[in-house]
Amino acid sequence: MLKTIIKREFLNNIINLRFMVGLVLCVIITVACIIILAHDYRQKIEDYYLRVNLKDEILSNYATRGRIIAMYPDQKPPERFRPLIIGISGDENVESFYDNPLPILFPPFDFLFIVTIIMSLLAILFSYDAITGEKQRGTLRLVISNSISRTKVLLGKFIGGTASLLIPFILSLLVGALYISMNPSIHWDGSAWAEFILLTAASVTFITLFYLLGLMISAFSRYSSTSILNCLFLWVLLILVIPNLCPYISAHLCPIPSIKETKRKVSEISIRSKAIAREYMRESVKRFRSHYGKLWSEFESMELGGIGSWYLGRKDAGPEHREAAHQRAAADPEFKAMMDAFREEFEKVQKEQLRLQGEPTKKIWNELKTKAALQTKLAKNLACISPFANFVYVARDLTGTGLRSMEYFVQVQREYYTQFDKYLDKQVQKAEKTDPTFTWKSFLDLSDRPRFVFKEEALKDKLIEVLPYWGILVLFNVVFFVAAFAGFMIYDVR
Amino acid sequence: MLKSIIRKEILNNLFSYKFSIIIILSTILILVSIFVMYGDYCLALDNYEILQQESEGTIAVIRPTPLSIFAKGLDENLCRSYGSGFGGQISVSSKQQSVNDLFKLFTTPDLLYVVKVILSLCAMLFAFDIICGEKEVGTLRQSLSNSLKRPILIFGKWVGGFISFILPFFIAVLLGTIFVTLSPMVEMSARNWAKLGLFLLSSVVYLAVFFSLGLLISCLTHHSSASLVFSLFVWAIFVFLIPNLGNILAHQLVRIPTVQQLELRLEKSSIRRDFEKHRIDKSQDSRIDNRIRAENEKFIDDYLNRLNRLVKVSRNITRMSPLTAFTLLATDAMGTGVAEERRLKRAILQHRDILRDWDDEKGDRPVFSYRRSSVKEVLGRGGLGNFLILILFNVLFFAGAYVIFLRYDVR
Repeated sequence: MLKTIIKREFLNNIINLRFMVGLVLCVIITVACIIILAHDYRQKIEDYYLRVNLKDEILSNYATRGRIIAMYPDQKPPERFRPLIIGISGDENVESFYDNPLPILFPPFDFLFIVTIIMSLLAILFSYDAITGEKQRGTLRLVISNSISRTKVLLGKFIGGTASLLIPFILSLLVGALYISMNPSIHWDGSAWAEFILLTAASVTFITLFYLLGLMISAFSRYSSTSILNCLFLWVLLILVIPNLCPYISAHLCPIPSIKETKRKVSEISIRSKAIAREYMRESVKRFRSHYGKLWSEFESMELGGIGSWYLGRKDAGPEHREAAHQRAAADPEFKAMMDAFREEFEKVQKEQLRLQGEPTKKIWNELKTKAALQTKLAKNLACISPFANFVYVARDLTGTGLRSMEYFVQVQREYYTQFDKYLDKQVQKAEKTDPTFTWKSFLDLSDRPRFVFKEEALKDKLIEVLPYWGILVLFNVVFFVAAFAGFMIYDVR
Repeated sequence: MLKSIIRKEILNNLFSYKFSIIIILSTILILVSIFVMYGDYCLALDNYEILQQESEGTIAVIRPTPLSIFAKGLDENLCRSYGSGFGGQISVSSKQQSVNDLFKLFTTPDLLYVVKVILSLCAMLFAFDIICGEKEVGTLRQSLSNSLKRPILIFGKWVGGFISFILPFFIAVLLGTIFVTLSPMVEMSARNWAKLGLFLLSSVVYLAVFFSLGLLISCLTHHSSASLVFSLFVWAIFVFLIPNLGNILAHQLVRIPTVQQLELRLEKSSIRRDFEKHRIDKSQDSRIDNRIRAENEKFIDDYLNRLNRLVKVSRNITRMSPLTAFTLLATDAMGTGVAEERRLKRAILQHRDILRDWDDEKGDRPVFSYRRSSVKEVLGRGGLGNFLILILFNVLFFAGAYVIFLRYDVR
């Protein structure tokens, strides 16, 4: 009997106008979206390689110790799922005077949008009159008058209805997958396809959730017109209101210090520590002057060979002064001893200044980071009452296009920086040994530097992260089904 | 007769379940939105106070507008602190909310969002069964069996239906506005009131577009279930599909390097400048500076030309949807739109040039002063065009509904 009900529900739906509309909408939009985003992906890849080459060119030709910090390679390749989902690390998040304002006014459109807005709406349209419609037509009374349990009727309606709803969706995804596999600029490996299958499964969980929401409302309504209004009311709340309000509510509940204020505090610490270092340096100069007398005056005429000029508030020495100091040191051991002692003194001051500045600065930034993380966590947890937010977390984290992938990228980047720092120190030491005139502005040969390679996070780790949110989606399904069941058990079919 | 129809339509709606649901939804949404955005505005004000105290290296910083409570638009971008970076380039400070990453996932829930997405859906829900619903219950046949002209009937239904729909909106907005104006942090000038008036007027016209569209679909169908399906289908296309897909499509038509690429090129120039300067005679410094500046300006000009073209193409494609015309008009009216952003950037660049030529011996440092556009300026700079597009959509949809209703089979 269950089979008959499923078949009847399925056939009823597919000859209905809403099935045709859903099919057309789904296939056209999904395929158009994938084709356009795949083209966009190709452009992003080209842009990414251009940026990588540009950085390479800078590091190969203009690397100096002073400016190398600004040049750490931090290029994130476009997400491999970009033909489906636009990641949140796009241009719109770059703090630049020349940024494009349009993405802020018109957020981008992708597969996530299709599932969360279009498919959830379609699911409601398929189920809002599953019970009320039959009641109004009088067929529900006839069905129940036979020897069939209400549980079977409800289960049959759910299975048959979701099957007919998922046909357009799966069909459009298959066409999209075919396009992706045939596109020469998209190279998906086994793990990407596995993520794609998991994404499809998560989408199905989300779509059935909204089908069940419609079914539940229908089981508690007498008329289809009331049912659809209630469904759309809940849809608006769950999809459009709750998720968008949560970050703002959390910002009120858990405020964070202003970034500019934090920067100001950091800058104050830096100014204070530099002032102390300058004072110390001036004292050192006095000591050296009284100790070395004429030899020191000679060294001063060479602009101290460029050592500690910034701390002393002097202009940086030119190459001619550095060369002169180097030659003088090579010819006179006493001059060399003075120069080495002064360099040692300078390095001591530099270290002291970094110590004075480093710890408090780190503390301030950590405080901001902790508070921001707390605010984000609160917003994230608050938004979990909406299935929309749960699905967004699952889909984005699973495909490496969300907040977690950004955190993962930062972690990978940090590991690379540590490796690069070690390499850099070695290169600087080597250069200082071979060239005594070496300064922060001298060219550094970095041709054998370690290269930055970004590898996607392991699927297992991603899955562990998304399972709780996926679990909430399943829980929503169960709750809605149980509620629909309870409503239907006491439903007056007359 | 027209009066009776309008009255009947209003009374019918007032007692309907649909009206109760929509009044509850719009009132809650509008009040919560205004309350939340007011808090956001207070945070922005705090941020502004701090930015203002910071004068070292700062070229410009502008005060957030209280109108951002209603339509935030690009206000967070506009209210960043603009400073001078390497080679006379403009550097910008981070946005206050850039540390909470969740803001990147969801949309700002301001009144603009409520109107353009949620109330537009409500407008269609109000209108989708205006004709076919009456046909189904049989009252349409009875009405037309009297000496009632079809044009009067459809016009009366439109007016009555729209009045009963827009009433809750005005009550909720009025309550929200009273709350905002009574709070001590908000100072609304006469200019701001005029802008808010333009925003509300454009909201009404925008909602009327969706109401007329719902009416048109109702005239095209004979069952309210079919009308509902088509209404939601068309709503999704106009509200989500065209604006978003149009932007992506515009990117395909106008190739533009990413802003990261541009920033990297500027960084390269700056590094190259320092590198070259260190290796040659100091007398050559200005020559290097000028050469690098000319190169940078060439990059930037090329980028900005492409960006302007992209914005133009994108705007033209997406204006096929009333949502785009409304968003552009509403944000420009509130001083948080694309036109305002361009105007501010131009002013900042001009001020940077003034500061570049300024000699501290001649007098005090020039202070950056900026006033957001007035209603007249907004209308003159494309606002009127967007407003006319909304009117045109209204006329088109209503005329379509009218023509189809003249031949509608009421049996």
